[in-house]
Amino acid sequence: MPKMTKETMLGLAKQPVFVAIVLILALFAIGETMSPGFTSPDQIVRLLIVASLLGIVAAGQNLVILAGREGIDLSVGSVVSLAVIVAGNLMDGSNANIPQAVLLTICVGCLFGLFNGVGVTLLRIPPIVMTLGILGVIQGLLVVIRQGVPSGVAAPMLANFVSKPFLFGLPGILWLWAFLGLAMAFLLKRTVFGNRIYAIGSNENAAFMAGVPVKLVRIGVYVCSGFFAAVTGICLLGYSGASFANVGDQYMLTSIIAVVFGGTPLSGGKGEYTGTMLGAILLVILQSILTTINIDEFGRQIIFGGTLLVLMVFYGRGKGLRV
Amino acid sequence: MPYLNHVAGFLMSKLVLDNVSKSYGPTRAFKNGDFALQSGEVHALMGTNGSGKSTLCKIIAGSVKPDTGSIFLNDCRVQINSPKDARRLGIGTFFQELSLAKNRSVAENIFISHLPLNNYVFIDKTALEMNAEYYIDMVRDVAGDDFTAKAVVGDLRADQQQLVEILKTIATEAQVLIFDEPTSALDRSQVERFFEILRKLKAQGRAIIFISHRMDEIFEISDQLTVIRDGAIVASRKREATTAQEVISLMVGEQTDLADPTSTSHDVSPISDGQFVVTAHDLTGDGFSEVSFEVRAGEILGFGGLHGQGQSAVLRALFGANAITRGQIQVAGDNYDGRTPRAAIRNGFAYVSGNRVRDGVIQGRSIFENTIPVHAFKKHMLLSTPSRLSRRAFEALNKLATKYHSLSSSIGSLSGGNQQKVVIARWLMDTPRVLLLDDPTKGIDLSAKADLFALIRELASEGLGIILYSSEDAELLNNSDRILVFNSGRAVRELSGENRTRFNLYDAAYEVAQ
Repeated sequence: MPKMTKETMLGLAKQPVFVAIVLILALFAIGETMSPGFTSPDQIVRLLIVASLLGIVAAGQNLVILAGREGIDLSVGSVVSLAVIVAGNLMDGSNANIPQAVLLTICVGCLFGLFNGVGVTLLRIPPIVMTLGILGVIQGLLVVIRQGVPSGVAAPMLANFVSKPFLFGLPGILWLWAFLGLAMAFLLKRTVFGNRIYAIGSNENAAFMAGVPVKLVRIGVYVCSGFFAAVTGICLLGYSGASFANVGDQYMLTSIIAVVFGGTPLSGGKGEYTGTMLGAILLVILQSILTTINIDEFGRQIIFGGTLLVLMVFYGRGKGLRV
Repeated sequence: MPYLNHVAGFLMSKLVLDNVSKSYGPTRAFKNGDFALQSGEVHALMGTNGSGKSTLCKIIAGSVKPDTGSIFLNDCRVQINSPKDARRLGIGTFFQELSLAKNRSVAENIFISHLPLNNYVFIDKTALEMNAEYYIDMVRDVAGDDFTAKAVVGDLRADQQQLVEILKTIATEAQVLIFDEPTSALDRSQVERFFEILRKLKAQGRAIIFISHRMDEIFEISDQLTVIRDGAIVASRKREATTAQEVISLMVGEQTDLADPTSTSHDVSPISDGQFVVTAHDLTGDGFSEVSFEVRAGEILGFGGLHGQGQSAVLRALFGANAITRGQIQVAGDNYDGRTPRAAIRNGFAYVSGNRVRDGVIQGRSIFENTIPVHAFKKHMLLSTPSRLSRRAFEALNKLATKYHSLSSSIGSLSGGNQQKVVIARWLMDTPRVLLLDDPTKGIDLSAKADLFALIRELASEGLGIILYSSEDAELLNNSDRILVFNSGRAVRELSGENRTRFNLYDAAYEVAQ
């Protein structure tokens, strides 16, 4: 029996999801000792709201990374920033404008995702270059649109959706995120599209030989990434109440870290969204602790970059490439 | 002057292998290597697939270390532990799989192992190109106008690249030269030029080992022929003292392993005059040219010959994975213009590759996910619900007697043979019309092979058209109703009925396409 326990422990220690849960609990403990009240229900809900924003954008990043062939979407942050501006200006503080604002913003997000997908597949531009290019384009576009002046206000209903309790004391966005968790599990496990994402991520050539429309699937995941980034942008608008400059930029790095923390290797082909959700929560708690101990934005960036590199050493690379 | 280097100094060269052997695990790749190579001779090595001729070459070239025996060069015992040792001893090798730096120039490739340097640091471009010109002159008029010292190798045609590899081997100025299939991509005038060069080298007292899959070439250039069978040297003859027929008999040995009774009986099976499922006419593409054949429902057509003569290339082209530049294909009487695997699958093709890792297994995923992709595509499915699909997947896997724990376990938990069965089951969830088998039993165990061929015969009797390429001759002879023998990308002969013997297979395999 003791031997059995040891083996189980070792097995668990290799499970990214298990590691993430342990780290989350540890971080909560650290946070509580450093600043009492860190784990109060209100505070936890607040953390989860922030985590859900990251979690939604990371869902798209997750799909892109799962599909393999160095898949990565560096443009998600800028799409979020763009979505905040577009949605804010279309809504202009009025509930009546919500439907068209949401619809159009999502279209914009999907369009940039489509650009990424087409660039990566049909034009064979490496994902890291293609999405970096789109990032540059959107940043330029933002300057043109804003002309230096932030504009756009969230509709009250949207703001309430993000921050006011909706059901059982939890705001709508958390219910949305929970639903997204289920939807992603269904997509990856129970749809042909999901199976194909894993297939091209794990052995693109074998998938091609078995009739998988490799390019279409790959374009699909980039469109999904644009879609989720746009949704995050809309929610972020509700969270902050008004558009601010480049609010989404932070998501480029953090969305990748959340995915890798959640157990999806950058080589793709395996991993689940549940892990990514935990990764997002973990990062947000870490962020919050860093803020509590007065480490500024740049300090946090350094720590996040370092975290990603450390993660790479442990379980980020290559494993998916072998049988 | 040629670019003479460190090896100048030998005048006579004589290479003797005494009782050399080499095993890979339990399989003995080479067991009796008493072999003598004389100065001033072209010595041809001949043998069937897997007989050990490549192993022998690799031992001499230093890329394979023998387990026992000794090697003597000019009566001195030598150790060849690495390709570098071989070069130092004056042994130069032409590799069948070209070893060229595709992004570098012809000149740089020719001198890749001993680039002329300025002050030991920078490549001396002028000297490099001047030296290269000396060698390029040897083939200039047969190589084409774009074959220059500065040309980038990757931009050249296959035959030109092969010439670069030849010049690179010659430029080592080695006393012992090994040429493993140096002429496979060359045209007639290029081959003749190459032979002229060989004769000059011979006159200089060099010793040359020559492997080719063209019998006429072997008899044209060789002085001595050595036949290897099952890893042992069985005979060595002067060219004048032997004939092609005798050499082939020596290669295939006494055994007349003609098809076993089960498959002979199929010659009279009623389906053998069934409808043509696939008719191919004049197919030409990368690695094959003017290949024509037809497959009937219920028939297994074998693709045979020495390894890599275009058999795989044709199968992959039929499946839409390689391009076809010319020729027509008809499927069940209708013109078929498939250019992608998806189009091929829609038209009822199925393709099983022996290279599971590259073409078959979706690593790290479940058996279920590995079984259903083709079915999902054919049925335009959106949802992949195990509740609906498990039974079909289960049936397909059972038909092949696949051993697995559950559909949700990882494909990596299975043995190689069972992984291959899963890949085949993928194609059987909906019965295909044409089954393309590209060396399907590579690396799987004997009992799995037997299961597999029993199933293949059963599928044929259900009316499928099957094309089988196997790198194992016995497999091919035992399981095919007809055999199309390939040489240099062309189908040179068709063997059927009583003619399906090892002798005929190799007689045809060494035959030259017209």
